[in-house]
Amino acid sequence: MPTVAQSIPAASLLQALLDAGVQDVVAVPDTHQRTLISAIEEHADLRFIQATTEDEATAICAGLIVGGRRPLLQIQHAGLYACVNNLRGLGIDGAFPIVLLAGLLGRDPAKAPGDDFGSMVRLAGPLLDALEIPHYLIDGPADLPHLAAAYAEAEARGGPVALLLGAETC
Amino acid sequence: MPDDAPERRMTRDAALDVLARRRTDQVVVSAMTALGPWRQRSPSDRNLFNLGFMGGASTYALGVALARPDVPVWVIDGDGSLLMQLGSLATIAHAAPANFLHVVMHNGIYETSGAQPIPGEGRLSFAGMAREAGYAHAARFDDVEAFDAELDDLLSRDGPTLVELFTAPGDSFYAPAPPPAERPTPAVARNWPVVRDALRTD
Repeated sequence: MPTVAQSIPAASLLQALLDAGVQDVVAVPDTHQRTLISAIEEHADLRFIQATTEDEATAICAGLIVGGRRPLLQIQHAGLYACVNNLRGLGIDGAFPIVLLAGLLGRDPAKAPGDDFGSMVRLAGPLLDALEIPHYLIDGPADLPHLAAAYAEAEARGGPVALLLGAETC
Repeated sequence: MPDDAPERRMTRDAALDVLARRRTDQVVVSAMTALGPWRQRSPSDRNLFNLGFMGGASTYALGVALARPDVPVWVIDGDGSLLMQLGSLATIAHAAPANFLHVVMHNGIYETSGAQPIPGEGRLSFAGMAREAGYAHAARFDDVEAFDAELDDLLSRDGPTLVELFTAPGDSFYAPAPPPAERPTPAVARNWPVVRDALRTD
């Protein structure tokens, strides 16, 4: 039975963020999540903070946590590769409980990410493994409970947890 | 127009003294070579360290400023550090935190790695770039007395404000410490919970 990633409606993801207690979304735009970004920007109870790089976005999340907020780091898989040093310096050495949601843009929905032809998709998991960052695939609406669980795990372990969004949001 | 000849620039320590005299309840994020001297001058449970994620001081501070708009936030940044994430000027200007003071120590070199010059030295204006990015205020000083005389006015304004200070090149070459016998808890991990807890008591 092949894996088939399902698109998740933006409204469902948005509700899962609210249920997880997220207050701020710090983002570098991601094609994969553009409907979710639009929904977040329009929602009165979530603050959308845009950064020019994923390194910046990671540091903003850390500062928000110092100030008592619960942020989400929302990026694309390419951004994950771009912010490795801040993820290491703040997430691992700094023990910040940062939860990141990265879109797997271009993923073949019929394959597991590890079998994808594209290096950006295929290597995201191994990169997170190398950084000792737990990660979970959100491949459809049934995986939405991973969001709240990720915050609990990040705070319990004192470090980042990554969620990889398998299909483009709708 | 500031005179940026290295021999006529203010010292970093003199600039920090000016800031320390005004320090009350601000959260202060300090980067790299300013970190130690700042902690000596202004010990506080509201000092945040930028160690091990070079270039991140300004956006680390931005996060605190956005979380706590009731608390003034200062960042003591370096020129080489800011250049590593120069886009942060646009990010900060866009977020427009009124409680944000961005001090850039412009000594023209990467001091910790052996005093190599920063790219564009002699032409770069961090105040100019901040102004064009959309900071509410920006100023440049090479003279510590002029900085001291104008700082209160700058602090009275809504930010984000960037102050570029031409400072004399220092000699803070970074020599790694001997490897520890046991795995230590990194300084950043020890530091930020202290500041978080201090802010909770407000």
